[in-house]
Amino acid sequence: MQVQTGYLNKVDGSSHYENKSVKVICSVTGPIEPKARQELPTQLALEVTVRPAIGVPTTREITLQDKIRGVISPIICRYKYPRQLCQITLQILESGEEETLFNVKELIGCINSTVFALIDAAIAINSIAVGVSMAVMGDGTFIVDPSNEQLKKSVSTHALVFQLVDGSKVVENVLLLDSFGNFDESTLFEVLEYGEKHALSLAKDFRKTIETKIKKDLFM
Amino acid sequence: MSRLEIYSPEGLRLDGRRWNELRKFDASINTHAHLSDGSSYLEQGNNKIFTLVKGPREPSQRSQLDQSKATLNVTVNITRFSKFERSKASHKNERRTLEIQTSLVRTFEKNLMLQNYPRTVIDIEIHVLQQDGGLVGSLINGITLACIDAGIAMYDYISGVSVGLYDTVPLLDINSLEENAMSCATLGVVGKTEKLSLLLVEDKIPLDRLENVLAIGIAGAHRIRDLMDQELRRHAQKRIANSSKK
Amino acid sequence: MAKDIEISTAEAQFIVGALKERYRLDGRSFDEFREVKIKFGNEYGDVMVEMGETKVHVRISCQVTQPYEDRPFEGLFLISTESTPMAGPQFENGTNTSGDEVLISRIIEKAIRRSGALDVEGLCIVAGSKCWAVRANVHFLNCDGGFIDASCIAVIAGLMHFKKPDITVHGEKVIVHPLDEREPVPLGILHIPICVTFSFFNPQDTEENIKGESNQEIAIIDATLKEELLRDGVLTVTLNKNREVVQVSKAGGLPMDALQLMECCHKAYSIIERITDQIINQIKEDYKEREKYKALLSSENARDAS
Repeated sequence: MQVQTGYLNKVDGSSHYENKSVKVICSVTGPIEPKARQELPTQLALEVTVRPAIGVPTTREITLQDKIRGVISPIICRYKYPRQLCQITLQILESGEEETLFNVKELIGCINSTVFALIDAAIAINSIAVGVSMAVMGDGTFIVDPSNEQLKKSVSTHALVFQLVDGSKVVENVLLLDSFGNFDESTLFEVLEYGEKHALSLAKDFRKTIETKIKKDLFM
Repeated sequence: MSRLEIYSPEGLRLDGRRWNELRKFDASINTHAHLSDGSSYLEQGNNKIFTLVKGPREPSQRSQLDQSKATLNVTVNITRFSKFERSKASHKNERRTLEIQTSLVRTFEKNLMLQNYPRTVIDIEIHVLQQDGGLVGSLINGITLACIDAGIAMYDYISGVSVGLYDTVPLLDINSLEENAMSCATLGVVGKTEKLSLLLVEDKIPLDRLENVLAIGIAGAHRIRDLMDQELRRHAQKRIANSSKK
Repeated sequence: MAKDIEISTAEAQFIVGALKERYRLDGRSFDEFREVKIKFGNEYGDVMVEMGETKVHVRISCQVTQPYEDRPFEGLFLISTESTPMAGPQFENGTNTSGDEVLISRIIEKAIRRSGALDVEGLCIVAGSKCWAVRANVHFLNCDGGFIDASCIAVIAGLMHFKKPDITVHGEKVIVHPLDEREPVPLGILHIPICVTFSFFNPQDTEENIKGESNQEIAIIDATLKEELLRDGVLTVTLNKNREVVQVSKAGGLPMDALQLMECCHKAYSIIERITDQIINQIKEDYKEREKYKALLSSENARDAS
């Protein structure tokens, strides 16, 4: 995983996220003045836009937007910014999967890059969200960050997002569990457990990236 | 379809003009005195256009209010029956129409003394009844005439004309048959100067021929300016005569 | 544009004042084009162009569809340009009908599609029933001026870099071979149009500009965002290496002397010559990099080659 924050300079926060074959740019503008119809009296309004690498946005991108909004909403301290707006725009540069069949890798890429962009924009968040994409193969093995070929051969795919607290060492909540394919209850629990472990180790990378970013910002 | 002879060896074009001749230019102003503050009706060849200028007046929306100068709006209504074949869809939201509107606003923004009318809006409405090539040029002429009729302060006339390039021969003021057969440039010339307010080239023209095309275009635009000037003076004289009768 | 970016009076005066002294904020001379950085992605037709802080990403894609009824021998070619708040606060989601955005997309459209840079007849598979539809998605990432120039370079570089899957036609049946099965084929590019944008400033008063003979107007190449916000007029010239003017757009703005405009066109030619060579060279290098192991893996031998 490679993340570069502050990639764009005309927005308040941005990140360039690259993980194997997924490449996403996220920009965050806010808090800004909303249009009258977007305004919420007690909290921050979110406008999430996902733009695909190829073609015009379709219902597929709307689904992604809704899922991202669902994950991001609980981790932002929205009560801090009443009657304001935050625009989150995601541009997928490389999806790394067949767009007509899957959306796990993009979804996880979008969520992870959004977390970094939010931190870069200095929007108050109460915890970080870490996403993991997984595929369960025919022989029962779990693969994290599967390739396109592995996705096609898999029996089920899972997108997991966890909310981490206490110095990102404890999993507080499952923010998203999005599964497709054939699987039973016990597999699902195994997937959750496996994903949790991976998310915790990924969180270390996250924190390291954020640490170097803050150090860089401070000593510029 | 048989091949049309765009430019005959004798030097004649499809409608019998020579390379440096304009089409029939027939303009009249103050045609819709009750409907608007300034109006013009223009026939440039088979282009038939009327232009209405409304304003300077109170803006209807607060967003249009500018403390330092007047806001200029241009709407171009290209009617569905304006071409030989009736078009099925309306031209209203076509990108081409939007582009023409923006170009016209930007052309006249620099030529009207908008700073004299702060906190107002000037609406220019153009209806294209018939079009036959070189549309943007004709629109410019129509607006110039209507703005003068409306009494809006301007620095100078802007006259528009389009020039085609047939092989190596530049053809002045082209019609739609010629427009489809060759590449062309549209010019918006300020008064009797050599300054261009608008210049649009949409097809390939060799770089070394461009200067030639511009030269003939500017000469043609100056001629159009004179024709517009004639009409304005004729109209003004008529008005003076009418008012002195009373 | 949706919300206008405000520029303070002090800064505006400083920038225009400096221009009168022939200085630009970034230290460039008046006719200096920013350095163009072109990066190719993993896939064919994935290009990122950077000019200073301006970033544009273009992705070319293709699929098999039905041609238009009135043009059975031609494939489809579409350029879609849509801006999002990502590029800057002046852009808004979903509303792309404001003056500037229409002009940007129309100029790119005229420069590349209408000028026939892509050979659409070469996209025909079975006349009247099947053809390729090539799509260029332009993503504006960061706006620091010169969007038209950067996007034009990105789209044409993308088209030159892109390769479509090879096909076999059996009567009405078409087999599309995946990229790893058969060497994909490049698109037919007929000429390489490049845009150069000039921004005009008027150092005197309006009267002098319109009636005067002095022609003191300032013309600078490749303006940054701040210069774009302050300019009085703009001219975009599109040329190709064959010394053809593909498109010129000076949609109003400051009236300029015809000879000065001609001079701009000639200046632009030397710039497009350089950029065209850069694109061609970089694509060649990128292909070489991709085919590094090809010679090793090939089953061809010297005898076959002869």
